[in-house]
Amino acid sequence: MKKKKSDSLLGMAFFGPALVLLTIFLFLPMVLTLVFSFTDFFALNPSLTHFTGLENYFQIFKDEDFRQAFFNTVQFVIIIVPLQGLGALGLAMLINKVSHCKKYFKVAFFVPVVMSLAVVSTLWIQIYSPEGILNAILGVFGVSAQPFINSASQALPSIAIMSVWQGVGYQMIIFLGGIQAINPALYEAAEMDHATPWQKFRDITLPELKPLCVFVFITITIGAFRMLVQPMVMTGGGPSHSTYTVVYDIYETGTVNWEIGLASTMAIVFAFFVMILTVIQTVLTRDKEENHGNKKAKKK
Amino acid sequence: MRKKLPYSLLISSLFAGILFAGCGQKQPAPGEIAGYDEGEQYLSIWVHSIEETEEGQCYKESVEAFNEKYDGTYFADIEFIPRNDSGGGYSDKINASVMSGGLPDVLTVDGPNIAAYAENGIIQPLAKLTEEEKSVYLESIIEQGTYDNQLYALGAMESSVGLYYNRKILEEAGVEVPDAEHPWTWSQFQEVLEKVKAVTDKKNGYALDMTFPVGEATIYYYAPFFWSNGGDFVDNTGLNADGVLNSDKNLQTLDYFKTILEEGYMSPVQITDLFESGRAAFKFDGAWEVNTVYSNYPEIELGVAPYVVSDDWKGERYTPTGSWAFAASSKTRHIEGATKLVQYMSGVESGKRLWEKNKSFPSTYEAFESSPLFEEDENYKALYHQLSQYGHPRSKTPVYPQVSASVQEVLENVVLTGKDAQAELDKSIERINAKLKRYRVKS
Repeated sequence: MKKKKSDSLLGMAFFGPALVLLTIFLFLPMVLTLVFSFTDFFALNPSLTHFTGLENYFQIFKDEDFRQAFFNTVQFVIIIVPLQGLGALGLAMLINKVSHCKKYFKVAFFVPVVMSLAVVSTLWIQIYSPEGILNAILGVFGVSAQPFINSASQALPSIAIMSVWQGVGYQMIIFLGGIQAINPALYEAAEMDHATPWQKFRDITLPELKPLCVFVFITITIGAFRMLVQPMVMTGGGPSHSTYTVVYDIYETGTVNWEIGLASTMAIVFAFFVMILTVIQTVLTRDKEENHGNKKAKKK
Repeated sequence: MRKKLPYSLLISSLFAGILFAGCGQKQPAPGEIAGYDEGEQYLSIWVHSIEETEEGQCYKESVEAFNEKYDGTYFADIEFIPRNDSGGGYSDKINASVMSGGLPDVLTVDGPNIAAYAENGIIQPLAKLTEEEKSVYLESIIEQGTYDNQLYALGAMESSVGLYYNRKILEEAGVEVPDAEHPWTWSQFQEVLEKVKAVTDKKNGYALDMTFPVGEATIYYYAPFFWSNGGDFVDNTGLNADGVLNSDKNLQTLDYFKTILEEGYMSPVQITDLFESGRAAFKFDGAWEVNTVYSNYPEIELGVAPYVVSDDWKGERYTPTGSWAFAASSKTRHIEGATKLVQYMSGVESGKRLWEKNKSFPSTYEAFESSPLFEEDENYKALYHQLSQYGHPRSKTPVYPQVSASVQEVLENVVLTGKDAQAELDKSIERINAKLKRYRVKS
């Protein structure tokens, strides 16, 4: 009994600091955000704070900027998630096949991940500029100069593509690890059955990578929802708010316009939305996995 | 398990104690900091820049000089708080300190934020200055620092926006620049643009290097178009934009901008360094552009023309002014000392230092007159003349960030995207009104 007590004391001693830090820097702010979201908290004059009930919640849904930011963010997610997820998988398979300079390709695709987002964004401002390298290349093929990030219709896809380029290396490495961990015996067996490369991919590689896919797609989705630095550096949310994201709106409302209450409400609504989406994603993929497992069991 | 919670709390609070010891504003005792002696009044001061920059060094030297001058009476202790482009970092620290009560005695405030800070009781009026003390400063500096008829802040530097031109291109097009008292009117400027367009077209450029960037730059650069046409953004109370921002005058101004684009005088998309690479005849930019061109683009023969005015201009003040200023926080209990520090930091010597090292325009007449460049260099001379004769303060309203953002959006949406001007202005009014609600209830 005594030993147990000292054990748990020791455990608490290890756990305590983390608990304190997490409480102060994570749980407490989360609770405060929830509380502030029901108030008109104004950073320049906190003494005038009133409880306003659900007013903020009604207000943000009426707010055109917030609605547009929300719509833009969803667009970013829709472009980025499939491109980055499938791109990473494709790159990983290609690199796995390459017999020479494997290390070189790995590093080359991973370098953008290590670079700071601000640096990458500044670099791409030059690439996308009206007289930049991309337009010069297009010019060679007889395509007229494109405005890219200067146009309300092209800015969002341009930034999304840049983000994919920047982030794809990370997921590629994860997939590569997954591919290399697949038992080679499976492929050998398939070869004896004269399986086509597509069949091998569909029936061996994909099912084996499924648990990784869940992780990869969820992290990409959450990352894409948090889009902030790229539009901030490259377009300032413009032109005409076409690259204004929810996180950007939260930042501006809170720090530039000092409306902490309203910003908190946006954060809560947004966090709730992302949470629901993540849960749906997890449930959908988990079900398939279980079905898959059941089928296997039946076959046996 | 539940019983053991107190242990964890005990240990946790111990760590928390260690972690947070040292946080929070605490006034040091005499002797703790080099130079702070017994009997001196301690004054803390925050500035918005990085210590290692030229600007930071200027502030540091000014504080050192202040401490020397007032040795035995006051001791100022400077803290550098970096900020990013949109003002984050520094303003975050101020926001946090408003809540925690850790504001310093003196702090820097960006010109357009003075109204909001004063209205919300973050800064307090300075101790009474004599007329003589006030007369040291440019009129625009006093004007910028005054809110509700009380002086809250004094600028350490000034700025303006010039209509820069490329001498070679204008020569080639056969265009003469008018004198400072007779700026081009909109119609005249349109004719000039038509003439220079013939030259810049050959250079694969545009007559005018003009964009509407997100941020404060847009309203700062182009407000004179609105002001010189008799328009404005908010009324004198700063609490009403309806009928002002969406006035007929402003619709006219927006129409003029549209003409500039439609006639092909400006590029619909931003082209980096169009003017600096010698492919544009004109550009509107801050006063810092002179130094940028001199140091980085020496092959450009730069000139400064008086900022253009509406055809209906009647000679009133219309050019942009304003920059960062020093103010006394509402938390200081030493308003006399804080005012002395504000005066010193924005005074002649500090201004000279900022001009010499950082090429920021000073805020006092004496500092301007002490530098031979404002006499010898035509471009600097023209900008100083424009600033002192035609400087107009930015709108004074506690919701300035919203007004500034609205003007940028309207220009971008109406001129570049071709949306309906009246609808865009009305939409802005709605947004600004939503932010003004808080202040209207108070007053």
